[in-house]
Amino acid sequence: MGLRALQSCASRSTFIWPIKGCPTGIIAHPLLQYPDIPGAKGNSESCSFHTSSLLCWDRPKGPQSWPKNNKLKFPPTPLGEEQRPAFVCHMKTNIKYSPSKMWYVACLVRGLRIDDAINQLKFVHKKGSVAARETLEEAQKIAVRDHNVEFPSNLWVSESFVGKGMVIKGFRRHARRRMGVVEYKYCHYFVTLEEGEPPEHYYHFRRNLTPQEMLQEWLEEQRMRTINLSL
Amino acid sequence: MTARLASRISLLSLSSPGSVCTAPLRRNYYVYKDPVYKHMPQSFNFKRKNYIDKFRRDRRHKIIKVELPDPDERAKLDAMTPDEMRAKMKEKGIQPTRPWQEKPFFISSTAGTFEAYVPPEGDGKLSAASRAGAKQKLQFLEKKGKSMIAIRKIRQFDEDFDTKDFAEKAQEIYIEAHKALADFNKVRLHQTVTERAYPVVTHQARSKTIRWQFLGSLEPPQVVHARCTDVLNKENVFAQVTVRFHTKQTLAVYDRFGRLQHGSEVVARDVLEYVVFENHIANSYGLWRIHDKIIPDWMPPRQPILKTYRVEETVEEASSADKESKEVELASKAGNQPIAATA
Repeated sequence: MGLRALQSCASRSTFIWPIKGCPTGIIAHPLLQYPDIPGAKGNSESCSFHTSSLLCWDRPKGPQSWPKNNKLKFPPTPLGEEQRPAFVCHMKTNIKYSPSKMWYVACLVRGLRIDDAINQLKFVHKKGSVAARETLEEAQKIAVRDHNVEFPSNLWVSESFVGKGMVIKGFRRHARRRMGVVEYKYCHYFVTLEEGEPPEHYYHFRRNLTPQEMLQEWLEEQRMRTINLSL
Repeated sequence: MTARLASRISLLSLSSPGSVCTAPLRRNYYVYKDPVYKHMPQSFNFKRKNYIDKFRRDRRHKIIKVELPDPDERAKLDAMTPDEMRAKMKEKGIQPTRPWQEKPFFISSTAGTFEAYVPPEGDGKLSAASRAGAKQKLQFLEKKGKSMIAIRKIRQFDEDFDTKDFAEKAQEIYIEAHKALADFNKVRLHQTVTERAYPVVTHQARSKTIRWQFLGSLEPPQVVHARCTDVLNKENVFAQVTVRFHTKQTLAVYDRFGRLQHGSEVVARDVLEYVVFENHIANSYGLWRIHDKIIPDWMPPRQPILKTYRVEETVEEASSADKESKEVELASKAGNQPIAATA
């Protein structure tokens, strides 16, 4: 019995998850088997024999477009111009945690160096921090392996945000035959790691101004003053 | 002392009726403090936890349990044995599908090189003009019996097959294939490269910009080896011809972000390669296409990428290709021995 057929059937349930490997309806002839490509594991599993039928294919569910940012290709930088820093986008979908609670974890990590971020998450007593930490570590490995990042520590978290996942509604009893709804929430966590040094202030508009900047602002305010209805 | 007592009493809020008695917020986790963040004063919130212990067990039963999907299901599926999977399917009430599929397929290329050519050691190191180099060159194809038989077999299907003409044509196909790879023109690539070689050629080239230039050949291309195999039937013949190229090329590979990853656009390198071309000669529409490349053991290692990388610990069975996972495996021009062109 085809192992792949079993797998695809076992996964067919009321809750269908996105499929990892590419679906093919073609039986590979022994002579046509492609050699095992070293280091090409990446996204797809090596499938020289694939026996599931197209009818078994589960339509991918959940966010799909975030990892597509990893396929963007930029033209070679002309001589004299600054090199573009490498970036990698990664996500973890369907985390059994509330998105509003996960938001705190996502905010914590923004603008930190990757090592600092992972170390901070180790000591955050929240369920979502485990998922966030796994995402960051995976993203780091992917950056070094696939995206020509030289040093795994030379990364910083440039984007870190949460998306709402599915919500499964259960219910509970209250007094006097009243029913209440219990929401079981899921969330998705998205991260972008960029190569290089993080900026000094992640939120530039909220930074503490230097005395010179403050003076300039004050001067501008003073100069903007007018006397109403004057000539 | 009295001041301290007074502060203690005030905390109990018995002395000052105006103050609000709130329990200090206890947190078991550290919150990273942003100095710019505004301080929000604590306010009494609705608390979900019922501190009265008496009916706790009954309160637990008020919530009706719902079976939640397992997010790690996909990962676990890969690790399951067939018996475990069958048990899980029974649990879910899913019937197994029919295992057999029928779809016609066409074999358009073989899976490897049949009786690969073994290039002699020290090939390409001596100039053809020198005495030793000339001796080396005396390995005429006519002396190789099996190769001649194969060429005669090819002539059965294609009467105008000539090794010299074929070598020139092979170089043209070689250049076409490289240009197609640089442009990533899939159609042209399939016409110049066999199905077996296609994934090997393209697998690291997808997200990269490749700039390749053919500057010229140092020695004319030579057919060094030929073999014929048949697949399934005696009449279904595939021919594999090995051609030796000694050329000057430049290769520059830029990564996804436009940064130079390997090679150089300006520095030319001498490249000595033994490329296997295959043709399904039994098929009247068969094309000569690049099938494989023979890398002898004495060939010096390729030029490394411009960045440093960590070499994985080699397990005994692991092949050397695992180590150089970052290097571009495309017919790489780098690292071939510089020619001692002195006569």
